[in-house]
Amino acid sequence: MNAQLTQINPLTLIHRNRLLPVPGSVNVREGQRVAPEDIVAEASIPARHYLVDVVRALSAKTLSAAEKMITRKPGEVLQKNDIIAETGGLFSRVIRTPGEGRVVSVNKGRVLIEAESTRIKMQAGLAGKVTQVIPERGATIQCYGALIQGVWGNALLGCGPLTTDYESLSGELKTSAIGVTSRGAVLAGGTCSEAFLAAAAQEKIGGLILGSISSSLISTALELPYALIILSGFGDHGMDELSRSLLATYIGRDVSINAVKWNRLTGDRPEVYIPLEGEAHAYEEQAMYTSGQTVRLQTGAYAGRIGRIESLLPGVTLLPSGLRAAAARVVFGENLREIIPLSNLDVIFSNDRFIGAPDEGGVLWH
Amino acid sequence: MKSGLAQPMSVLGIEIGDVHTRGHLFDIVENSYRLIASSSAPTTSFYPILDIGDAIYEVLSRIQEICGRTLIEKSGELILPALPTGDGVDQFYITTSCFSSLQVVAVGLLNDVSLDSARKLCNATYANLLESIGINDRRSYSQQLDTLLTIRPDLVIFTGGTDGGASRSLLRTAELVSTALQLLPRGTRPQILYCGNQVLSAQLKDVFERYTTVRSAPNIRPSFEGENLEPALTELDALVMEKMNEEIGGLKRTSPLCTTPPQLKNQGFMRMIKFLGRQYDPLKGVLGLDVGMNYSMAAYSNDRVSILNTFNFGIGSGLEAFLRKGDIKDISRWLTFPVPDTVVSDALWNRSLFPLSVAATKEEIAIEQAVLRQMLQAMMIDLESREIMPSLRFEPIVLSGCTVSHVADPVRSLLLALDGIQPLGISPLILDKHSLLPLLGTIAAHNSLLAVQLLESTAFSNLATVVNITSKTRAGSPLLYARLDYADGNSFEVEVKQGSIISLPLAPGATGLLRLRLTSRAEIEELALIREPIKVQGGVCGVVVDARGRPIVLPEDQGRRIELLKEWEFLLGAA
Repeated sequence: MNAQLTQINPLTLIHRNRLLPVPGSVNVREGQRVAPEDIVAEASIPARHYLVDVVRALSAKTLSAAEKMITRKPGEVLQKNDIIAETGGLFSRVIRTPGEGRVVSVNKGRVLIEAESTRIKMQAGLAGKVTQVIPERGATIQCYGALIQGVWGNALLGCGPLTTDYESLSGELKTSAIGVTSRGAVLAGGTCSEAFLAAAAQEKIGGLILGSISSSLISTALELPYALIILSGFGDHGMDELSRSLLATYIGRDVSINAVKWNRLTGDRPEVYIPLEGEAHAYEEQAMYTSGQTVRLQTGAYAGRIGRIESLLPGVTLLPSGLRAAAARVVFGENLREIIPLSNLDVIFSNDRFIGAPDEGGVLWH
Repeated sequence: MKSGLAQPMSVLGIEIGDVHTRGHLFDIVENSYRLIASSSAPTTSFYPILDIGDAIYEVLSRIQEICGRTLIEKSGELILPALPTGDGVDQFYITTSCFSSLQVVAVGLLNDVSLDSARKLCNATYANLLESIGINDRRSYSQQLDTLLTIRPDLVIFTGGTDGGASRSLLRTAELVSTALQLLPRGTRPQILYCGNQVLSAQLKDVFERYTTVRSAPNIRPSFEGENLEPALTELDALVMEKMNEEIGGLKRTSPLCTTPPQLKNQGFMRMIKFLGRQYDPLKGVLGLDVGMNYSMAAYSNDRVSILNTFNFGIGSGLEAFLRKGDIKDISRWLTFPVPDTVVSDALWNRSLFPLSVAATKEEIAIEQAVLRQMLQAMMIDLESREIMPSLRFEPIVLSGCTVSHVADPVRSLLLALDGIQPLGISPLILDKHSLLPLLGTIAAHNSLLAVQLLESTAFSNLATVVNITSKTRAGSPLLYARLDYADGNSFEVEVKQGSIISLPLAPGATGLLRLRLTSRAEIEELALIREPIKVQGGVCGVVVDARGRPIVLPEDQGRRIELLKEWEFLLGAA
């Protein structure tokens, strides 16, 4: 059975496509080094228009009369108070633009003006090198570094120095932890309250990494001005020990967050990147469940906990719920063993850098 | 020997779902088609595999192991047609719901007329209506234009105007759509489905075709009272199938092997409910409900009318849409143990993140069943709002999908269905144990014999015949005496109290005569029924008399509510 994989990877080769949803212009070239906040590509999408009905506004008697009054052509750029149409004559009446814009069309005595367009700016999202330019759409960026994949994000990008401590990573972030040093920084913790989310917004932090969060805060999280990534799910179970250890190692280093929504079709997933010196292979993206694998539980009483598959059980197993499913015996710590359906396990992939069964708080890679 | 059938065939059906790919092998056993083996594997049309082939291969490998028949060659190719040795299959079918829904904006004239029909059109298939723009819209022209530009839908359904009716308003609306098409960059422009005033069809098609692809269909609202959704639905389904072929990796490669082109899951489901609707009591009609992982379906049909609603919610990734609209308290009220709403909410949101996950504990499965109840209720409310069903009396009710697969105990399946549907009158409840209905509907287009014979097989089981009684009597008061006379001359009698639910044992396949004797204080719907004994079919849960009233009202107090829910489970003998 194909395993579900999650990277909590201390060092790997990362390459990510950063593509516009519509055609636009690409601002980078192959080989160029980029910072997370650099704009790789951008596009303009028409967003706000207004329609000027010259027939009605100037009481034109016929359509052709109205069209003669219109002084603008499609494509013309207008400044505020520019004249769009005028009756002419000694006591000429005029229509002026209420703001800046561009004439989109002149049709049947009506002038359509594009007042505003939305600029879509595709940021690099991670520090690295451009390895491929995709014309009109964006680029592929590559770097070496630590990679932690999450499960939920609020659709924003963020970056900054990682500012946290092991106590916060193990428990709930307190509002008292937010100070002047938090501005522009990426904070990380096990979980947090709504008050913390609000306080962090006021302090203009660069991003927030949490192990888990209450689902009651989803609406709030989607309105935050900074990137929020959830690593293992909803609830109060906090951060797993592998993510915790990895983040603790890199306190003070620059990290980037891509808090994109998880898309199973495309594989886009919320992620944390920590660029590092050194080289490594790309990580595996497919694996089968086997004994000895390090796993994280997705749901239930053990949600977010790290364990190791001791053995795969043959056939299907009758679960306490009454359902039957392929399952494994998973060992947590030294002695706790539980039968867990394979479908509820994420295999934690680490380029073989995790050694043995994880211990609380230990550094788990070479 | 395959005798008695004109063209005996072995048939392989694959359903590619949003989470699981299921395979079913059918063949002839004793002159009749039977389900030989089933298997499933996680769907592989997602990253990183992006091809349905892997999951199909895994499913076929397991089916081979189960039935000892070779279906795939060493090269990995499906053996088609079957060999004289019996290996391989003669027919191969695919049905799927593994794609994202079409994002739609409806543009028309009146909200209560053409735009209402457009909404129904979207509800019938995998289309998500994001916005409607009509002539009574209070937004300015430029705001409507900006809305179209911001949403960037896959499709604009352009409707409005009765055939031969006024055209000026429609032309003005067409100008709005035409302007939006011009402003959107090529490659991001929506397609147009024109299904409005037919007098303008050719003219407007010409206008829109300058910018995008246009499909046209007869007017969905040819007159003020009349509605004609079918032809437009065919076009809409064709668009959904185009998207399906684009999104599902490996489908185009696999399609030529199929006996008929791959079908949408909801089409197959509806075909079977329509077929059943012609077989049963025309005054009642057949109800089919299927809660899936991403989408759900509710279908109703009798000999005159039929209706299909496809919902953009389910028990997997489709949970997010459902949770955003609803109140978590409506879900947690069905739980038989005290648990904070936040825990229920967290569990369900996690389920939406991990659609492959399985409920491992009793608490987890109870939470899933609670949300399934609410989904069934939402589906019934929507069906009722269409005002097509003459009543909430059905014969039978067919349950498919997660309402079956996510429940291990038949009693809980029964309670889940009754709590969610809350039917009236007398309804047999049938479980589609392997969720075969959509696939059978797809196969039926080419091999109707298989579909008919499978319906009569053990792949479908009668869960119970339920007699639903409503009364205004106080809870706990004696309501009626129910006596079930068995074929062997024995009988079973029980007193039914208001607010209770009881079961009279009657094995699946057996029949009995049910006599209801009302007490003086009770009222009952379908009064005529109590004058004569009612012939009832047995089921896994026997014959059930549901006297809990309609709608079912649960106590506000959590303790009393849990006690009552447990009592209902106990009365029916839940494990």
